[in-house]
Amino acid sequence: MHISSSARKPKRVAVTASGEGAIAPPITLSERSSAGLALLRIFVGYLWFQQLFWKLPPTFAGLFGYVVRESQHTILPGYGTLLQHTFLAGCPSLSSPVGCAAFVPLAACLWTAELLVTISLLFGLFTRFGALLATILSVQLYVGLAYTEWIWTYGMLVLLALVLVAVPAGRRLGVDLWLAPRLQAAGQRHRLAHIASWFV
Amino acid sequence: MHTLRRGLLAGVLASLVLAMFDFVTVGAPGNGLPPVLRWFGITVADPAISHWAGLFLLIVLGAVWGLIFGALQRDNLITAGHPLLTGLALGVLWWFIFELLLTNILNHASSPLSLSFGRFLASFPLDVLFGVLIGAIFIQWQARQAAEAS
Repeated sequence: MHISSSARKPKRVAVTASGEGAIAPPITLSERSSAGLALLRIFVGYLWFQQLFWKLPPTFAGLFGYVVRESQHTILPGYGTLLQHTFLAGCPSLSSPVGCAAFVPLAACLWTAELLVTISLLFGLFTRFGALLATILSVQLYVGLAYTEWIWTYGMLVLLALVLVAVPAGRRLGVDLWLAPRLQAAGQRHRLAHIASWFV
Repeated sequence: MHTLRRGLLAGVLASLVLAMFDFVTVGAPGNGLPPVLRWFGITVADPAISHWAGLFLLIVLGAVWGLIFGALQRDNLITAGHPLLTGLALGVLWWFIFELLLTNILNHASSPLSLSFGRFLASFPLDVLFGVLIGAIFIQWQARQAAEAS
């Protein structure tokens, strides 16, 4: 399996092989390495899967304490204010989500995003889209919580997600194996399929 | 024969992934393995034995599912869609039989089909993944064999 990020990328690999081969030979992953990366993808998906259960709908109550902590310990100026005016808007108390008007709908969006990451990474379905979403969610966690726990906890989560953005890990042991060639073929004719092919 | 053997091995490997999931659980490692015994009404008092016996039974069941998968794939051409769909269907069947019917019957639930959202979420995606993995592993071996033959 060649490492490629889209339908166009194999051309770039070919250019590398002929033009710059002497300096930077093209990188080809063996089937075993690809399967290893696919297993990594599945277990990162399982990591996200397990985190769905301590903030289950309909109340998403488990999430509330973390949002409060993020608003108080963020490393990004202004992010705390943003959280206070969105997730925590109108909260009568910071010890309970009761009375917070916007908390439940916003928490539902966050939970759904994490569910999408889970499905995407576990099944290798639009894996790079899932990994991109995981990166955004992990960066948000890093920004909010990095200095409340071991500094690398959320940093590692960001790095893991970035690996899965870079490598098409869903094309082995995943549905992208079936999806990728079809989207690439359809991408020659349809713009939407072409865009979708970036995410497998 | 090749198809059956490939299906069997794919089932064993997919069940090992499920076993690893059961190992990485909240509480203590391997907490998800003894419930496999409970599907058949088996209770073992010794925690170590129940963990190992659960793992063994899970692999055996995976092998059986893999054999069924292999039998369904006989004489099929190399296309990724059919094995993935068959695997998915077998994953749903696994969930329906073990996680829904047998678990409810042995827990004396009000109905054999009773199910909470949390229980559905905890079991269904992983069991479907088990089936999809059987299909995906099978496809890769089939493709590799075809490449070696040509």
